[in-house]
Order: sequence, then structure tokens, then C-alpha cells
Amino acid sequence: MSQLITPVLALLLQAEQPTTRGGVIWQGIQHPDLSKFLVIAALLFIIGVAGVLTRRNIIVIFMSIELILNAANLNFIAFSRYLQDAGYPNAVAGQVFTVFIIVVAAAEAAIGLGIVIALYRNRETIFVDKIDLLKW
Amino acid sequence: MSDILTFIVFILLAGLAIGSALAMVAQRNPLYSAISLIGVFGALAGLYLTLAAPFIAAVQIIVYAGAIMVLVVFVIMLLNVEEEVRRPVRLRYLVPTAVLLAAVLFAEAAFILFYVNDAPAPPSPLATAEPSTTGLTASIGTGLFTTYLLPFEITSILILMALVGAMTLARRTAARPQDLVVPGAQVLPLQMVEPARVGDDTPVRSDTTAEAARTLGLNEQEQTRE
Repeated sequence: MSQLITPVLALLLQAEQPTTRGGVIWQGIQHPDLSKFLVIAALLFIIGVAGVLTRRNIIVIFMSIELILNAANLNFIAFSRYLQDAGYPNAVAGQVFTVFIIVVAAAEAAIGLGIVIALYRNRETIFVDKIDLLKW
Repeated sequence: MSDILTFIVFILLAGLAIGSALAMVAQRNPLYSAISLIGVFGALAGLYLTLAAPFIAAVQIIVYAGAIMVLVVFVIMLLNVEEEVRRPVRLRYLVPTAVLLAAVLFAEAAFILFYVNDAPAPPSPLATAEPSTTGLTASIGTGLFTTYLLPFEITSILILMALVGAMTLARRTAARPQDLVVPGAQVLPLQMVEPARVGDDTPVRSDTTAEAARTLGLNEQEQTRE
């Protein structure tokens, strides 16, 4: 129980003892390090997957996929920043890959929305549970 | 003091991103979902700025929030679909189970990320002598046109394919217009088609030469085959 309370107390009191676990957490949160960005990216990814799985509107599913891609982008940028701080010479790689991902997302948007429009023209619906032509 | 400020900015931007993402998934109206997603993109651009990636932040705003979301909103306006109705939940006991399992999974992930992570702590960026140029436009351009030249060129092929594919998909497969004049199209009086109806001038349209021939019974082979 004390292990659960210690980080909260450390956050509240702004304790800065690196020896205790609460102090380590506080320092980890304070410094521009990796972990908190990874947690945010994981949360965005989970929300995107939940959107893909639960929504029926194909446009919203499409936007959830964009959210998943953005979670990956945030990971890339965070690792790029980390390697940059660690003195890694090729730290720009993550940002270059982010540019590629954005390009792929743009191409996916063009194709996906073209498919949505063709689908609506033929089936008069964009709800995925109504689009069951290949299912029996 | 600067650390506290950075932390506050991070909390604000991350909270905006997560909250907007939740709103995007929870909204019933797809247009509100799109606007929430624009909020996510803006917050992520701010996070990229705090991570010393100003070029990516600008590209994020321009390409994602500017181009892709305009396309999405345009399609939403074009289709003008009704709102999703909430379906009744079958298997009610699954909802608390899912929440519990998700909490356990997320706690595990956070535990690993915060405690087991024994990567060497990077030196403070303030400690380095000269400011890093990583993340500026020049360094990304150098990377794109030297080390990553081949992926960059392949990307251009991808965009060309997307262009052709989108045009092919969105093109209306044109139905033949009624008034199109086909060579051999003609209007025959009914008495020519059926010799029994002598004097009947009711027009019989035929759009192509083959159709005219079939109407007149000239191509007996094709008629019997049908």
C-alpha cells in the first residue's frame, strides 16, 4: 500500500530524492524523456483501435486509423529526441520516417475516401454492418 | 522553473490529445468526430514542438489538419449520412470485464515503461556545448535526399498510384446517354419491322447497326442463338 501512495505523495510534495521510487518517478516525469510520450502514444493507439472496433460509420473508422498512425508518429519523434540527447549521430531517422508515414497517410486518405464514395454510390450506405456483400 | 513549465505544457497538450481522441471515438455525429480529430492533430503538433521537431509539427498541421481533414470533412458533407444509432449492448457483463482487463494491461505497460526501463539516462540537452540541428528543415532535407533517397523516390511512385487509383475509383461509370448518335442508328416505321402491320408508321428506335439488323430479322443466326 505504501508503494502505491509514495508516488502520489512525491508528486504532491515535489520530493526530489532520486533514491526513493517516488523521486525516480518525479524525475522521469520532469525530464523530457521517453516514457511519458510512449504512454501517451500507447493511449492514442488504444483509443484508435477501440474506434476501429466499435464504430460502424466507415468514415469514423477511417479517422481512427489516422489516429493510430499518429500514435506511431509520436513514438518515432520521441525516440528521435531521445537518441538526439544520447548523442546518436543519425537521430534524424525518426523524423524522416514520420514524413514518410504522413505521405502514406495522405495517399491512404485519397484512396480510402474514393472507396467510400464509390461504396455510397453503389450501396447507398456507409455503415460497415450493412456492407455485407462478401459475407453469407 | 523551466522544468515545471515544460511539465505543465506537456500535461496540457497530452490531456488535450487524449481528451480529443476520446471525444472523437465517442461522438455520434461524424462531423464532430472530424473536428475532435483536428484537435488531436493540433495537440500532437504542440508535442512535436516540445520534442524539438518544428518541421514535423508544421507538416502535421499543414498536411494532416489542412489537407487530409479537409478531404474527410468534404466527404462527410457530400454524403450527408444520418447519425449512428446506439445499439443495445448484449452481454452486459463484458463491459466491466473489459474495463478491468484494460486497466490491468495499461498498468502493466506503465509499470514496464517507468520501472523496468533501465536505458541510460541521456544527458540534459542544456549540458551539450552546441545546439543540435536535428529536427530542423535542413537536417531532414539532407536525410531525405542522401540516406533515404530510395524510399523518397518510392514514395513518389506511391503518390502517383494513389492519384490514378483515386481518379479511377471516383469516376462515374457512365451510362450510355439516350440521345447519343451511334453510326447505324435509325428510326424505322413499324410496318417495315412487322410486315403484317401494313400502314402503321409507329417509330421503332434502334441504337446500333446490330440492333437494327436484329429488329429487321436480318441476322437470323444471332437471334436463334439468343
